[in-house]
Amino acid sequence: MRELERQQSRFQESVLSGDFPEELLQRRGGRCARLEIYQHAYRARLIDALVDNYPALHRALGDEAFEDLAAAYIAARPSRYRSIRWFGDGLADFVAEERERLPHPALRDLIRLEWALRGAFDAADAAALTVESLATLAPDRWPQATFAVHPAFQLLEMEWDVAPLWHALQGDDDAESEPPLERAHHLAVWRIELEPHWRTLEEAEAPLLAALVAGEPFAELCLRAADQVGEAAAPSLAAGLLRRWIDEQMLAAVTTDGTSNPL
Amino acid sequence: MVTGFGLGLRTEHYQTFVDERPDVDWLEVISENYMVPGGKPLYYLDRIRRDYPMVMHGVSLSIGTSDPLDADYLVALRRLAERIEPAWISDHLCWTGMAHTNLHDLLPLPYTEESLQHLTSRVAQVQDVLRRRILLENVSSYVAFHADEMSEWEFLVELTRRADCDLLLDVNNIYVSSVNHGFDPQRFVDAIPAERVRQIHVAGHEDHGDFLIDTHDHDVCDAVWDLYRYTLRRIGPKPTMIERDDHIPPLAALLDELAVARRIAAECAREVDR
Repeated sequence: MRELERQQSRFQESVLSGDFPEELLQRRGGRCARLEIYQHAYRARLIDALVDNYPALHRALGDEAFEDLAAAYIAARPSRYRSIRWFGDGLADFVAEERERLPHPALRDLIRLEWALRGAFDAADAAALTVESLATLAPDRWPQATFAVHPAFQLLEMEWDVAPLWHALQGDDDAESEPPLERAHHLAVWRIELEPHWRTLEEAEAPLLAALVAGEPFAELCLRAADQVGEAAAPSLAAGLLRRWIDEQMLAAVTTDGTSNPL
Repeated sequence: MVTGFGLGLRTEHYQTFVDERPDVDWLEVISENYMVPGGKPLYYLDRIRRDYPMVMHGVSLSIGTSDPLDADYLVALRRLAERIEPAWISDHLCWTGMAHTNLHDLLPLPYTEESLQHLTSRVAQVQDVLRRRILLENVSSYVAFHADEMSEWEFLVELTRRADCDLLLDVNNIYVSSVNHGFDPQRFVDAIPAERVRQIHVAGHEDHGDFLIDTHDHDVCDAVWDLYRYTLRRIGPKPTMIERDDHIPPLAALLDELAVARRIAAECAREVDR
């Protein structure tokens, strides 16, 4: 197989570099020597995959700037994946390393949001936790109750307020938007039935949801709520948020004894 | 057992297949599209599988690469097959990359004895894991190697004999390669043992004058329909589908093309009866 390995290595190198390997391929009067079809298809296919995974970024940058960014990414991080669906997973890291690739630093947060939405789209399935099932939880078990988020759920820590930009970019190619403002906040990304969703978390909500994701029991969530609104109002804040997350189908299971129980 | 006329299942048509149950005998699904944890792709796959027989068609097996076979991929492929119980599993006679880089393309192999030996042992490994014979599809190609020792059809036929695998004959790919490489497409078809062909693809391509590109984004042209007719006359009726991967039209347009395939197959059947 040594010869085949050498031939494929040379072929791949030529597709990636754009040269023509005279010693490897025939040139029959112009026929049968159209290596450029492979060279072009390689780039076009990966750019298409990035457009699929980052539609809002594509609209924000426009074709030309998007393709420049895509070409740089493709050169720096060729696909290692069997399925092209995962190509582009490193784009947020790539633009963090090479900041000059983006016209505005807020677009990195847009990239992170879009990749999280892409992940929510085909993350594992799980039945959503319901209020009815929680009602069966004995009152004395509540303090140690911990919750599991849905497999599609992600909590994102953002530096820029990209929500107005994202909304402006939905479906409208000519959308114009003010440059995003710098604002530290959190987003929740998840799936309702089959559709990916996201929303901005309220200031009091984010630390509690982060604690829930980290596996802290309900009693700890109440303590964190007390830090923000005082002891008297804490239980109703914590219970109210829990209710909201359940209604929004962010949660999948509750545990009171160390074993997960979807009830 | 899958017979008759099928289409490739595309996301654009999910809801139409659920709501209208169009008259298609079976569906071909791209395996990689459903090798995901969950969500919409698997929901619609399971839902539509209830109403249609399916076959699986992969693009990432990379049977011809000199890299080792990807055991994780094969296991995922087997799991998907256990989920939807396809009539068969196919991929392409090609390689897609090496040294852990994936070019996500169906790259041509040098048609050499060395390649044949390599592929023969690889097909055996894959068939062991999948516990079934696989179908390999002939790809369109745009280059030829100095090292070639035989024609594509000689290579293909010898591989099916040595490795005991079957064929997905892509009539469009035969036609595209015949124009690009200057061979007679009927010679290719003549060499194919009928009993190895379990499925036929018909598709459109892009015409660049002195060469063709296999884009799967056009209607099927007359030359490909003629070759399809020739193929059926040679090897008899085979499960046939229209393959469309880009510029996906409304389902009705693909059903119209499928009706052409049905008509040609019916005409060929009448010729045999006479």
